[in-house]
Amino acid sequence: MKKRHSLLYHIIVFVVAQLVWLSLLGLWIYWYVYNYIVFEKVGDQVSPYISYDITNVVPFVIGLVLLIGLSFTTSVIFRNLNVQLRLTKLYDNFIGNVTHELKSPLSSIQLHLETLKTRDVSPEKSNEFINLMMKDAHRLRNLIDSILGLMAIEQKRLVYDLEICDAGTMIKQIITESTEQFHLSTDAYNVEIISSSEIAIDKDSIKIVFDNLVDNAIKYSVNDVKIKMKINSNTKKIIVDFVDNGIGLLPKEQKKIFNKFYRIYNPDIPNVKGTGLGLYWVKEIIKSHGGKISVSSEGKDKGSRFTIELPVYKPAENRYVNKLLKNSRKQKQKVTADA
Amino acid sequence: MPDTNPTKKRILLVEDEESLAVGLEYNFTEEGYKINWAKDGREALKFIEENSYDLIILDIMLPYLNGFEIAAKVRETDPQMPILILTARTSAGDKVKGLETGADDYLTKPFHLKELLLRIKGMLKRREWYKDTTSDLSVYTFGKNEINFENLKCKNDNDEFTLTPREAMLMKYLINSKDRIVSRKELIEKVWDMNPEIETRTVDNFIVRLRKYFETDPSNPSFIKSVRGAGYLFSVKPE
Repeated sequence: MKKRHSLLYHIIVFVVAQLVWLSLLGLWIYWYVYNYIVFEKVGDQVSPYISYDITNVVPFVIGLVLLIGLSFTTSVIFRNLNVQLRLTKLYDNFIGNVTHELKSPLSSIQLHLETLKTRDVSPEKSNEFINLMMKDAHRLRNLIDSILGLMAIEQKRLVYDLEICDAGTMIKQIITESTEQFHLSTDAYNVEIISSSEIAIDKDSIKIVFDNLVDNAIKYSVNDVKIKMKINSNTKKIIVDFVDNGIGLLPKEQKKIFNKFYRIYNPDIPNVKGTGLGLYWVKEIIKSHGGKISVSSEGKDKGSRFTIELPVYKPAENRYVNKLLKNSRKQKQKVTADA
Repeated sequence: MPDTNPTKKRILLVEDEESLAVGLEYNFTEEGYKINWAKDGREALKFIEENSYDLIILDIMLPYLNGFEIAAKVRETDPQMPILILTARTSAGDKVKGLETGADDYLTKPFHLKELLLRIKGMLKRREWYKDTTSDLSVYTFGKNEINFENLKCKNDNDEFTLTPREAMLMKYLINSKDRIVSRKELIEKVWDMNPEIETRTVDNFIVRLRKYFETDPSNPSFIKSVRGAGYLFSVKPE
């Protein structure tokens, strides 16, 4: 029965349905034209009262329009069904990945705890196990944070703690923290501030953005990772270029990379773990700051360039940022009052 | 210094999660096993080609080749190799697929260390028992049937086929207990090593399969007979 839900099954049903419609349409036109010719030839002889008024064509035209309408509706339903099927498949993959991502570190933690409890483990080995458990706990925390964070953004429950700051200084500080967290040496990254302006950002959220970009750069690099960042600004926006030397992206991947649950498989580095939520989360955070993010790549093994644009803070002009700031202040007041 | 003790059982661990593999490697070594750790499907096949093992522990979600593919490849060359699947995938479909592909046991993550070690011990014990009992009798003939316990290839009146390792083990146990009634409980204990997931119904299903292979009329068996309320009896009438 499972086969009945496959894409091929739906395509076959759709093609057969269209063939049936077209055959019906063809037969109908043939029947109509044939009868019309017959009537034209012998109609007067059979009954002089039969007239070939123009109104006779009206039902024929309406019938045609209805049939075409039905055919169009079937196509729309088929298209939507395909989108639904694709989403279901992506969701199934996501559930599989999340199950794996949750259970693997959990199994490891349980195994190490049981080992420490039941065996006489040397201090060096105990230390190694504890470090591994901390790494797994961190992995679990990241996964849970990403799921809960995304839910909060999607349900518009998240209120940012915005602060107005100098873009260059703040982003440089954030990227330094991110690279330190991933144990990258200072040679592995370079930040160039060409020009800067004031922006209103939630530092923790923007850190999530750069954590994800740095993490991806590391995970999708065959050789030692190199990150180059450029911060520039004009009167309206801050533009941050994040360039890595990873495996790069094909044009079709560039289009989908920010989609929810989308993941890239590359046979050169097949062991990359993830859920397909990271870059979607990044996009949503940037979007909710009133900015946008795009990606470009010259192709396979030529690295990727992520370009983030954030609005420059101008109190009198930027309505969206002002609204975010107002909400942020309200939330802060509420938290203070509750405390 | 490489461990060259020939009496140590060799286990191949195929696991792409480093922290889990480190913990398992430590525990297996402490239990006295010799371990090789493969991080992906390709490496696993290379290890299998170059070494001989007493047991293979397989994850399913692996780079290059998944656990099912590895199990199937192992079965092509070694039908008796004990394979335990250790995975985060819990669906009944995955379990069935794993067991059908040739795994002998299926354990889901997260697991208890003690349970894993007991299952490994049981699988190795069964392998030993199977080896011992087949060393003196590799080919057994009864009626028009012939079973080769080395490569698990069989012949009946009109067909050639291959038994699964568990079917071979069950058949072997019945043959060894020829003319003696063997209870379902005894079969679970000896052939399935008291696996808690095995029910008496599973034993009956295996018996039905064996009858289909070796009996001319499976509904009226002449070799593997049921003894009401007691179990099964394997006997061969002299022709």
